[in-house]
Formats: sequence, structure tokens, C-alpha cells
Amino acid sequence: MTAYFIRRFLLIVPTFIGITLLVFAVTRVVPGGPIERMMTASLVSGDQAGKVQRDTQSGSTLSADQIAQLEAYYGFDKPVLESYALWLGKVITLDLGESSRYQDPVWQIIKERFPVSIFYGLTTLILTYLICIPLGVAKALGHNSLFDNASSALVFLGYALPSYVVGIALVGLFAAHWDIFPLGGFVSDHYDDLNTWGKLKDIFYHGALPLIAYMAGSFALTTFMMKNALMDNQAADYMRTAAAKGLMRKTAVWRHAFRNSLIPIATSFGSNIAFFMGGSFLIETIFNIDGIGLLGYEAILERDYPVVMGILVITSLLFLIGNIISDFLVAMVDPRIRFGEAR
Amino acid sequence: MNKLLFIVLAAFLSASLWAAPETLPANLDWKTNLDDPVFASPEAKRGGRFRSFITTFPLTLRLVGPDSNGSFAGYLRANALALVDIHPDTLNPIPMLASHWAFDPDGKTVYYKLDPDVRWSDGSAVTADDYLFTIKFMRSEHIVAPWYNNYYSNVIVDVRKYDDYTIAVTGAVPKPRDELLFEYGLRPTPEHFHQLDSQWVRNFNWEIEPNTGPYQIAELRKGKYVEFDRKANWWGNNKRYLKHRFNPDHVRVKVIRDINLAYQYFAKGDLDSFGLVAPVFWHKKAQGEIYDRGWAAKIKFYNDVPQPSQGMFLNESDPLLADKRVRYAIAHASNIQKIIDTVLRGDYERLNSQYEGYGDYTNPAVLARSFDLEKANELLDEAGWTERDRRGIRQKDGKALSLRITYMSSSHNDRLVILQREALKAGIDFQLQLLDASTAFKQILEKKHQIAWMGWSGGGLSPVFWEFYHSVNAHKPQTNNITNTDNAGIDSKIEAYRAAQDKPTRVALAHELQEMIHAQGSYIPTFKVPYTREAYWRWLQLPEHFATRTSSSVIDSMGSTGGLFWIDQERKKAILEMKSDNESMDPLLIIDESWRR
Amino acid sequence: MLKLNPVTRKRLDRFKQLRRGYWSAIALACLFVLSLGAEMIASQRALLVIYEGEWHFPTYGAIIPGTQFGLDYQYETDYKTLKLTLESSGSGRVIMPPIPYGPLETDLAVGDFPPHAPSFAKQHYLGTDTSGRDVLSRIIYGFRIAMLFSLLLLVFNYLIGVSIGCLMGYWGGAFDLVFQRLIEIWSNIPFLYVIMIVASIIQPGFWTLVMIMVFFGWTSITWYMRTATYKEAAREYVMAARAIGASNTRIVFKHILPNSVSTLITFVPFSVAGGITSLTALDYLGFGLPPPTPSWGELLKQGTENLDSLWMVLSVVGAMTLILMLVTYIGEAIREAFDPRKFSYYE
Repeated sequence: MTAYFIRRFLLIVPTFIGITLLVFAVTRVVPGGPIERMMTASLVSGDQAGKVQRDTQSGSTLSADQIAQLEAYYGFDKPVLESYALWLGKVITLDLGESSRYQDPVWQIIKERFPVSIFYGLTTLILTYLICIPLGVAKALGHNSLFDNASSALVFLGYALPSYVVGIALVGLFAAHWDIFPLGGFVSDHYDDLNTWGKLKDIFYHGALPLIAYMAGSFALTTFMMKNALMDNQAADYMRTAAAKGLMRKTAVWRHAFRNSLIPIATSFGSNIAFFMGGSFLIETIFNIDGIGLLGYEAILERDYPVVMGILVITSLLFLIGNIISDFLVAMVDPRIRFGEAR
Repeated sequence: MNKLLFIVLAAFLSASLWAAPETLPANLDWKTNLDDPVFASPEAKRGGRFRSFITTFPLTLRLVGPDSNGSFAGYLRANALALVDIHPDTLNPIPMLASHWAFDPDGKTVYYKLDPDVRWSDGSAVTADDYLFTIKFMRSEHIVAPWYNNYYSNVIVDVRKYDDYTIAVTGAVPKPRDELLFEYGLRPTPEHFHQLDSQWVRNFNWEIEPNTGPYQIAELRKGKYVEFDRKANWWGNNKRYLKHRFNPDHVRVKVIRDINLAYQYFAKGDLDSFGLVAPVFWHKKAQGEIYDRGWAAKIKFYNDVPQPSQGMFLNESDPLLADKRVRYAIAHASNIQKIIDTVLRGDYERLNSQYEGYGDYTNPAVLARSFDLEKANELLDEAGWTERDRRGIRQKDGKALSLRITYMSSSHNDRLVILQREALKAGIDFQLQLLDASTAFKQILEKKHQIAWMGWSGGGLSPVFWEFYHSVNAHKPQTNNITNTDNAGIDSKIEAYRAAQDKPTRVALAHELQEMIHAQGSYIPTFKVPYTREAYWRWLQLPEHFATRTSSSVIDSMGSTGGLFWIDQERKKAILEMKSDNESMDPLLIIDESWRR
Repeated sequence: MLKLNPVTRKRLDRFKQLRRGYWSAIALACLFVLSLGAEMIASQRALLVIYEGEWHFPTYGAIIPGTQFGLDYQYETDYKTLKLTLESSGSGRVIMPPIPYGPLETDLAVGDFPPHAPSFAKQHYLGTDTSGRDVLSRIIYGFRIAMLFSLLLLVFNYLIGVSIGCLMGYWGGAFDLVFQRLIEIWSNIPFLYVIMIVASIIQPGFWTLVMIMVFFGWTSITWYMRTATYKEAAREYVMAARAIGASNTRIVFKHILPNSVSTLITFVPFSVAGGITSLTALDYLGFGLPPPTPSWGELLKQGTENLDSLWMVLSVVGAMTLILMLVTYIGEAIREAFDPRKFSYYE
């Protein structure tokens, strides 16, 4: 078993190279790179407002030489493998390069957004488990009861409504119409002048609506996983034994069924270590939060490849480690499972 | 002997290289203009904070180089004043950084006397060296801006210094005088600030460059806002055309990423003004209490500026579109008017040519082809597209008349859907291809599109044809001739137009060219918006005429037509009180058609 | 008479007893079947035209130009106008479908600004969208597309996912390791890039989109299947089966698969729902099916941008909630029906 996990950790290296190489190659194929983006910016008109730009540079075209220079500037002048090797060499020394849009180091740009993601990621995570596991248990125990049906309907309403729709509705009602919560932002503009208590209050004051939007959709999966697993386990043979032994239902469920029901939840738990890289760009746009979701989405749309690759490096490493943790957790909660042994 | 001669010659040559030609030609006719009407209000009061927004945080504070052309660039450019500006109403030149100017008989050189009062924001004087540096700077590879490199090498060919406050700028080709001043215009660049090396783009990305305008960045919160402060002792405070302008003491530009959310900020009073050009905002969203109770006002102001060439660009290299009759038929099958009358709520107007809003240069006789199914059918029948398949789409030699329209914004879906439905009546099948802007633009610049639904920005004093219609730019990637127009007749006219100097000839040629382009039929004009519409809280006060002929927006804190409004602090207090007490005053809706054409 | 395996029959009977799930299944099936014949429910084409004694059925088939009915144009007949003219002149009859608007038809007149609020008089029962197209009609056609999309996705994902996942879990060893790496690499490709690349090369259509989604979608089910197989393979009965010399095929198909299915079945409703929501989200972002394809995502986008015209957003959200609830209730019932065990020994 230990050998298996050590092997898994070693395998991170080739997988990581596989992932990054593939995406690196993909970025070369994507139409409209930073150079085209630059040309677009210099030529095309702002549409709607009919705003007229009086800049002197529009209209001219570039020579092949100049385009080659731009290619060199953005690092497109070398073959894929060669530039990949250069990039990887820098990554090993923990240098993710510089954003082709912001000119700042990629790591710094990502780091700046951690507070936002950590707050929302961690809070959502904790609240989801804190609510879903008890809810799942209650639903499994009271299967087909009124409570079960009603809560199913509610949870699924939350699931059916895309989080951005929930977000827009919340902003429309609680911020714009009733003016209870702020319209957006992660913290107020005067945040730095507040004391610790004020800061905390400010964060939650701004965070209440986005948190609801984030969580509305995330209940369904975990709740139902918990409920179904517990119902499976309630029907397991060992529960009959427990019933036959005259164990109280509560004790039996708690001691036996509950523990086993956590297996499917455990399998998905590993992926949560990426929580501080999370964030939905749609919610971030609606609530005007400068988070990682928005950064990643804009980087993709605006072809900021160093940022795309930088985010990929971090998320893929977290993902790979998360998978191992998941397996490890599965093995922990269910000692019968033996990984890595061929039959 | 020979040696001596050589030394003398060398001395003479070096002297002529370093000093000799820098004497001003005699009897220059120095001009200035201090007689045109003042367009700011003498009642304006200074003070307060103006709050505005942008949808993305700027990627850089540089004026040139990668990503320096975003929506924030306008604020920075507005504070980098020009030598001479255009009077926004009369369109005459007015002094700005230069107090006087004079023309050389060669028709391509202008002399400028620099205003000695002008100061950089760090207090140092702006002198001729700062203009010389601009040329050096703009030609440098380190700024990674090949368009500027080209422009300052091929269009502006030389800048000379005569003394600290006198310079001359020479352009590549002779032009009419009024255009010389602006086409070959120049802005100073602070030499003492920059360090041009291969790291310039990165090192100066977030550096606040000294400027000559009324505002300078005072605070920068990444991802949140940028705050500008008014310079208290700005050199322009008492200049004729700058007096009583740029009144707020602070301008805060907040980042709000969603336009609908931004409107909510405005409705709450957290922004001072909001643009309402889009019909859905003007008619539907900008309704309700704040207007009914008179706390906020709405204004629709007609302006008179070159229109962006919104339209459909047909690629003549495509086998289907190579036939002029098909191109005409498409124009007649495109029901632009229905789009205007329905989804655009009759707010936009039909654009008639690619060159509207250029004053005399615009040929009023060129009118866009109107929706006419009979004509479209006739043309298509004539072109041999006579069969129809089971969907009713015309066919010729087993090929369907199916054309792809490439466009870039999902907000245009509703317009294109109507276009598609209507064209089907003539048996033309439009396939809609929505691509994100970069991808679409790559396709179009590589001339791989069939029909491009887009617009070039307007600008300048006279239309440009060479980039868009000369055959030199056809059939090759990365040029603006995206219709692949290749017509010898048009070519020779364009060359004549570029060579002509006097305005009447140029105007006549421009008119002829517009007719020829119309006859070519590869550009179908769509919409124009000859006005600006805005909402503002009524603590903002406007001058008597609200804005100017060339104002692209009414409530504009900076720029050559901006800075006219002011914030009335007492009124603000009063309105906020009215708001909290739920009191009303008369609603205000202004529609100004003074400059309507 | 269809002959059913007794176990399957038993499951079916049990399923029928679970009334909520059973009725949901019937309702969903009805909706889906109805949507397959959507042309007869919502279309700009008439069901029947009697003109000069001749009967025409325009619903399916080639367009009938206006000239056929004595009108002066060659494009498709406007049956709503035809109905009015024929009925006023008494020279014929036109029977329109209950919703007389097709999903692509823009019902607009000059001076008439969409979106329109729901109106029974105009037979726009849920109003129109920002291009003047009937919302209900687009919801029906959008539902058909979303369901087909989602079901195809389900079939492909599960076929690939279950077979590979099962083998990974059962064989373990090198096979498991190689595929794990492959999946890990796979699930890290930025989805939007692939869509963008494909979109720039070909106009993405329904099948392209299904293929792209399968390309990315099979991994998650593989992952769960792998874990489930590991779990089952470690159980005593599998060991016992192996001890008595059962073949690998037999163990997989008779023991492991049926037993993992209960875990898998719980994912089915989420997969169907996931298919619908991901298509909706893609359309919402503008990376989905090309306009003017009727789509819930596009309608949702319009709705959220025009919150003052609430009927758009309410219609889509209502439709989505309804369908997703139905799917879930079915999933729940299937799960119970397939599980022969009582769900609790404590009653």
C-alpha cells in the first residue's frame, strides 16, 4: 500500500508533463493569439456607443519583419518543444513567467486573488459539508417523509437554477431593490482603514449574497450522495445483524452505516484541496469580485497564455495530489479496498 | 593642400550638420486662434468628486505598447494634450500646447511656437526636446508598438528644433492645411522620465507618466478603482479654451464588470452619470422613480462626427460573391430597416455609406440599397440562381446560395436573426457564425470570411480609401481591404486622391470614390448612431449648450470636448435630502437637436 | 406478449409502485415524445390547408411558396395571414397548430418592439424573446434538442466510462495506472480552448458539440466506476466467486457490474441534468449551438439581460426546474427498484 502511494506520487511527474505539454501545444493551435489580439485592439471600432476613436495608429499594416518581432516578443518564434522546454525550465525554478497582458509576474497575479478564493472556497466547503451531511442523513432516515420530499424539491430547485441566475436575482432584489446588501465587490473601498472586527464584518457583508449563489447549486450532489449511500448501507447485511443483536437504530446507524456511507463522499473530498484556486467567473462578474475564476476565463478569452499555463500548473498539481488523497481516504475509511494490486 | 581642404570641408560639413539649417525660414505667417467662441460655462464651480466606471481594470498605464488601447486609455490620452486642437464647434484649429503655428510652402511642414507656460505634472517645463524625444521614442523597438514605429517613420518623417520653444514637424505627403495640423500632430513625451531599454514595456507598465493635462492619477487600487486628482495650479487654468473646464477635484473610475450591475450603481447614486445609447437602456431600464421624481435627468444629444462604418463586408474573392449581381441582391435582401424599426426601437438610423460624418467629403447622393425583394429576385434570376430547394433556398449548378456571416458579439444575435429570416424570402440562406473577437478578426484579416458583420472606427478629418479599397491591399492577409476589392478604376482614383492637396479636388475625388465603392457593392452599410444619450444625477450642472458638435458624450470628465460639467455641492445635498424624504421635483428630459444633420 | 426476465419484471413492478417516480417517468416520456412531434404543436406552418378544394399538409416536407395559394410571393406561405384571407373570403380553410409560431419565426411588425409580454390574444402564451420569437415554441424545440443532446451524451459517456472504469478497477496494475494518467491529463485541458479551436475550423453543430462533450465527459464516470469496482472486487462474494473458479467475464458481468450499478444509477439523474445544464451554460456563454438554434441557454441569457421582461427568465427557469425534478424523481425510483434489498431493517 505504502509502495503504491509512493509510486503514485512519483507518477505525478510524467502526468504533469503530459498535461502541461498538451495544453502548451493547444495554445499554439488556438486561433487568434496575443498578436491578433493586439491587431484587433488597434483596428476594430468600439461598437455600441458609436464612440469614435481618434487614434493615429489605425489603418496601417505590419510588415512580415515586424510580425516576426512581435512573435519573438511573445515567444512564438521557436518550435513548440523548444519553447516548452524553456518554459518548463523556468517553472522548475518556480518562475511562472510574466503575464502577456498585465506584464506582472504570473505568480503575483494569482497570489493577489487568493484571499478572495480562500474565503469563498473555504466557507462554501465548510458550509456545504456542514449542511449536506446532516441533511442527507435526515433524508435517508426519513425516506419518503414530507420532510424528505420537501427538502428534495428545494435542493433541486437550487440545483436546477444556474448559480449565475441565483446571483442575478439576489443582486436585483437584495442589493438594488431593497438595498440591504452592497451591489458588489469583495470588500469596501475603505477596507484598509477598518479594524479587524470591521474587516470581518465587511467581508461577510459583501460575501453574503455571492455565498448563497455559490452554495445554492452545490447542495444537491453531496446531499444525495450522502442520502443514497446511507440508504444502501442501511440495507446491508451487517445492519440486519445489528438489528438482530438488538442494537438501537440510532447506535447502529451511527456506528456502522454512517461510517461506510462516507466512502463516496470521501472519494470526492480530495478534489477540494483546490478550493483556493476556485471561483466561478460568472458569479465573480455579477458580484464584481476580482477572483481567480474571472482571471482564468479572461486569460483564456484574451489569450494570455502565461497566465493560462500558470493557473494550469497550480490546479493540475492540486488535482493530481487531490486524486491521491481521495484514494488514500477511500482506503482509510474502507480497509477492504486494496489499491494497486493486480489480480 | 589637400589635407587642408579636407579639414575645411569637414569643418564646414559638420557645422552644416549640427547647426546651420536650424534657422527659421524668414517671413513665416504665424497664426493663432483666440477668436472662436468659448464653449465652457463661466458659471462652472470647481470641486467635488466625479464617479464613473470602466468594465475592466486597465492592463497598463503606458500610452503605447502592448495592451495600451483598452477602454481606460481614453483617460490617459485625454491628459496628453496635443500641439493644436480642433475647436469642437467650429472645427477651426485652436492653440493648446503650441501658442502659434505657421505653414511651410512645401505643403507638408508645420512650424510651432510652444507655449512656454506648459508644464509637466512634475513641474518641469515642456520644451522642444520633449518633442524630439517623441520621435525617438515612437521609433524605438523597445516600445513593442510596430504601428507607432511605422507611423512615426513613414507618416511623420521629421521633427526639428529651432530653439527651446520652436519646432517644425514634417509629414510624408503634402496635405490641405487644416488636415496638416491634425494628421501630422505630435504629443510631447517626457524624456527625463523614460528609460528606453528592452525592459521598458515591463518596467513602465504601472509607472505614472508626467502629463500635460488637467488630471493626474493620484491613487491606484488594482482591480478596484483609479483615482485622478485635478492639478491645483494647472498651467491651462486661464487659457481661453481651457478655462472653466475640468471642474471636479477628483475623478474616480471604478471597475464594475457588468454593465447591468453598473446601471444599478448609477440608480443607487453611486455613479454620477450613465450612458444610455443602447435602446434597451434608454427605453426600458432607465425608467422609474429617480427620473419620475426629477432627481436624475436624461439627455439625448445629437452630435456630428465621423460614423464608424458598421456594416456587412462581402469578400469578393469568394466564388459566390464574385458576381456583382449577387452582391447587389444581398444588399436588396438585407432588411436593415426592419431591424431598426423593431429590435432597435427605431433609435438607430440607416447608415448610407462608409464615409458619413466627414462634412463636405461625405457624398450625400450615395444612399444605401434598400430592402427590395423584387429587385433581389430579379438580380438573382439574372445571375442564374433560378432553382429553389425544399427549404426555398436558391440553387445554381447544384450549389445552394448559402453564405456565412461572421460576427463577434452575441448581443447582435437578435439583429442577425431578423436579417436571416428576411433574406430567406429572397432565397438566400445566411449561416450565422458567432466567434469571439480575436478568432473572428483572425479569420477576417486572413480574408477567409464570406461576409463580415463589423465596423471600422471612424476618425480623422477626411475619409481614407487606400487601406480599404486599393488593390495593393487585396488578396493578402493582415490588411484592411477585407472586401478584397481589386478594381483598377478605383485604384487610380485613390492614387489621385492621395496625391491631391487642395480641398475642392479632394472633395470631388472623394465623392467620385464613394460612388464607385457603392457601385462595387461589396460593402453594405447598416447602422449609425448620430447622437449620444445619457442619464445623470441632477447635481451635475451643464453649460448652456450642454455639449459640443463633436462631443461623443455629454458627461465627459476629460478630453478635448470634455470637462464642461460641474458638480453643485449644495444641490447634491438638497437632492440627496429629497431622495431620503421621497420628495419630487419636475422630471427633466433634454433632447438637443442643434447639431442634427 | 413481451417476455421479461423475472428479475426485470420484479423491478418494473416495484418501480410502478413508487408512484412519484413512476408518474414522473410517464410525464417525462410524454413530454419527450410530444417534443419529437413538436412541428405539429408549434410551427408557423399550418397543419392543414384546404384551398380550392385541394388538401395540403404543409407541416413536414418542402416549403410551399405563396404562389401555390394565389399569393404574390415565392417564399414560404404566411399561413396566419392566409388563414385570415381565406376565412374572410370563405374560399378555404386553414388549421394552425395550437401554437402557431415556429421557433425561428420572428413575429414583428414595424413600430413593434420585442420582447412582448405573454398574450393569449396573440397566441404567444409565454411571450416573445428579444427578436420577437415565441418563447414557448423555443422552449419546446429547445427541450427536444437538450434532451436528445443529454441522452446521447449519457449513452456515450456511460459506455466509455463504465467499460474503461470497470476494467481499471478490476485489472488494476499497469492498466489502471496508465488510464489514470490519461484521465488526469484529459481533465486538465481547458474546455473552452477546444471549443474555440473547433469553432474556428468548422461551424460547431449538434454532433460536433456532443462529440466535444463526450471527449471531456467520459472521465468522471470512469473515475467513479473505478472506485466502485475496487470496492466490489474487494468484497467477500467476489473472492468466493473467484475461489470457485468463475471466469473474469462472469465475475465482471454477473457480480461486479450489477452491484456497482446502484452507485452508478444515483449518478444517472445528475448526468441527464448535467447534460441539460452544461448545454444551457455553453449556450449562455455563446459557445454552444450556433444561433438561431432554439436553446434554453440563449433564452436564459436574454432573460437575465432583460430582467424587466421577467417572462423569459421565468419560463426557462420553470422549464429547467420541472425537467430536472422529473429526472431526479425517476432516478430515485429506479434506484429503489433496482435495489432488491429493503432499505432499512428498522421500521
